[in-house]
Amino acid sequence: MEVVKPARAALVFLCGALFYGASCLLWPQSPPNKPAKQFAGAGGDYKEYDPATLERGKRTYTANCAFCHGGNAKGGESGPDLLRSITVLHDENGELIGKVVLNGRPDKGMPKFNFTPEQITDIAAFLHDGVRAAAERGTYKILNVLVGDPKAGETYFNGAGGCTSCHSVSGDLAHVGAKYDAVNLQQKIVMPREGRERPTDKALAVTATVTLPSGEVVSGILNHLDDFSISIIDQHGDRRSFSRDGDTPKIELHDPMKGHTELLKRYTDADIHNLTAYLVTLK
Amino acid sequence: MKLARFAFALCLGWPALLAAQMLNPSLLLKPPTDAWPTYNGDYSGRRFSTLSQINQSNIKNLNLAWIYRANPGETPGAKVGGEGPAPVAGQTAGNPFGVSIKSTPLMVDGVLYFTTPDNTWAVDARTGTELWHYFWRTRGGIHIGNRGVGMYGNWLYFETPDNYLVSLDAKTGKERWHKEIADVKQEYFSTPAPIVVGNHVIVGTGGDSLDVPGFLESHDPETGDLQWKWWSEPLKKGDEGSESWPDENSMRHGGGMTWVPGTYDPELKLYYIGTGNPNPVMAGQSRRGDDLFTCSIVALDIETGKMKWYFQTSPHDTHDWDAAQTPVLFDGMIDGKPRKLLAQANRNGYFFVLDRVTGKNIVSYPFLETMNWSKGVDANGRPIPNEAKEPQIPGVLVSPPSGGAANWPPPSFDPETGLFYVGTSASYSVFYLTDTDPHPEGYGATERSSGGLGNTLRAIDYKTGKTVWRHDFPGGGTAGLLTTAGHLLFAGDGSQHLVVFDPATGKILWHCGLGGNVANGPETYILDGKQYLVVGAGDSLYAFTLAQ
Repeated sequence: MEVVKPARAALVFLCGALFYGASCLLWPQSPPNKPAKQFAGAGGDYKEYDPATLERGKRTYTANCAFCHGGNAKGGESGPDLLRSITVLHDENGELIGKVVLNGRPDKGMPKFNFTPEQITDIAAFLHDGVRAAAERGTYKILNVLVGDPKAGETYFNGAGGCTSCHSVSGDLAHVGAKYDAVNLQQKIVMPREGRERPTDKALAVTATVTLPSGEVVSGILNHLDDFSISIIDQHGDRRSFSRDGDTPKIELHDPMKGHTELLKRYTDADIHNLTAYLVTLK
Repeated sequence: MKLARFAFALCLGWPALLAAQMLNPSLLLKPPTDAWPTYNGDYSGRRFSTLSQINQSNIKNLNLAWIYRANPGETPGAKVGGEGPAPVAGQTAGNPFGVSIKSTPLMVDGVLYFTTPDNTWAVDARTGTELWHYFWRTRGGIHIGNRGVGMYGNWLYFETPDNYLVSLDAKTGKERWHKEIADVKQEYFSTPAPIVVGNHVIVGTGGDSLDVPGFLESHDPETGDLQWKWWSEPLKKGDEGSESWPDENSMRHGGGMTWVPGTYDPELKLYYIGTGNPNPVMAGQSRRGDDLFTCSIVALDIETGKMKWYFQTSPHDTHDWDAAQTPVLFDGMIDGKPRKLLAQANRNGYFFVLDRVTGKNIVSYPFLETMNWSKGVDANGRPIPNEAKEPQIPGVLVSPPSGGAANWPPPSFDPETGLFYVGTSASYSVFYLTDTDPHPEGYGATERSSGGLGNTLRAIDYKTGKTVWRHDFPGGGTAGLLTTAGHLLFAGDGSQHLVVFDPATGKILWHCGLGGNVANGPETYILDGKQYLVVGAGDSLYAFTLAQ
């Protein structure tokens, strides 16, 4: 409770009506966005190449191969997609790619190329890096979120969005456009908190007030809640846990993110883009 | 052939139920009580047991019988196979996903057989004593989970993350043979439990990272040889479904993975499986059209693999949803008439009921209140996607996110309540198109989790799709489910508890804290007159019986 700003503390509701998103809601089948090195996000063990090798490989590729296989190696008028090529996928360091390059594929109209071993490993690096870029989705880059209308965003912020019940552009959101880039700003608008329990920013934490049968009232940051127990971090930083039996003890939760959660059901995508376009101007 | 094998089985003194599993599958529609001989306990996918020794009147006396803690890796005494290199010290323990028993153990003749990626164990079902451990040296592949083994006579079958079908001798854990079913270098990885039907070992695969086609295969249980292969997409222009793709290249790279075991109707001789999402996963510009037969429930002839019918649940999916969730088979009354039904709580937020003879749709109902990607359903019950909710460069807010409204954890159907039980998740993500090339590859888009409204155990009326009761878990997710004739519904709550509900009302009757979240579907069997409840949580199996 002590970390909740007054305007946010007004968003009080009982836990019986509480359903939340949390990091644990992600189902276990989807590989994580940021792949661990081994056996995780992508099955292949993709090497990391130094930029100079990739640049040399790209130059050699562009000058010699792109005409048939396309500038991005995804296939062209007469040559197949090399990033989906079984030969490329089975190649480690140019040993299979080199055979094709040095011998050509006369039956399919591909000429020989008298490349040096270094040129071949450079091209192989360039192709493997293209495969990695497709397979490792944790490395994908969001392109551009600034498509909205700042004026419409301002109107939504001050009106239908209800944002001003908690936020002020001259207060907590002053210079927010300088604090985050547009992509992260949009993410913060949609969901400022990464998970309900133990967020890194304590100002975003759910707080709980537990009223024991004795009448004692204990409050603090919610640490964990399930059907059978609740634990909180109290004002002294101590963790306290209580068994639950139905409605005993009485629990009230206060979630500063309730407004954001409610907006998920109401937003249009344009509302989100407009808000981003507006808030990014608050430099 | 079949009769001969049946006689052979009897001569060897194999348990009658096991013989029934292989050779008279109709018995499997009556759930066995002294065995759990296939992934879902029987072919129907209902995960309902007729056992009632453990029931509402004595559930408070449920008592821990044993714990078995799995120790995966090339452990001393493990039987070792595989095509990969020997693991370096500490490597096999370093699975980035942690050790999680997602497989539902088979229980045959007093022995439990189960897996984690690269590992298979046999454990005494009465005591939790390890009998043997087999370890597979891997060549790679995503080690996210494994759903268990299939069994035929004395032979076991499991799949590996690097896409081998491996057969072991159930008595010793000794390897009989292994067959490569897909290429790990193309980013295939395999998680399903093989399903044995007659003399067919049905195996599927997964892998979304590099745009490869999905398939389902049938292998010979003795030799491992391929019997038939069904591709998730048409192979060439002119084939059925090819009109739903722009060209042959897109369909040959179209995804449609078969990563959750299917179900089987022995009278119709049809195998039912839900196919995965199309590829590239979230960027649809190179595959305009419905992308058949991805995100579809399909019925395949068990002898030939030929498709009898399909029902597509997410036409032209761009959110990594799939129709892989268990298609549950039961008979029910629709408009006063008995019907052979198939029900599925789909990852996209819809609950579907189909006539499993014809594939004709009976119910399509959005069980997820936050679902926002569809404009309703067409005359055939098929959802109509809202194109505006396909991933876009500046982001679109979609519910459910790629993780889905429901996912692979097994649902349950209780014929006594007539309710379909499933764990669901109401969340949102913003989906961003990141690959604008006319020919995107891989996922082609990314998503940022946007929180949501939590996880819920639902009891759904199959006649309407409406949720009859719900339990919102305050602390997290839901796992696989089991119902029994003891009027019990076993579930996990995402806070490391095994929780037992009244299947009629949703009231919590009993719970127990475990050493991890329930990771598989709970199962039950009777041995020596004693009913066991076995559940996997984290790296351990827990067995419960009634206190004496």
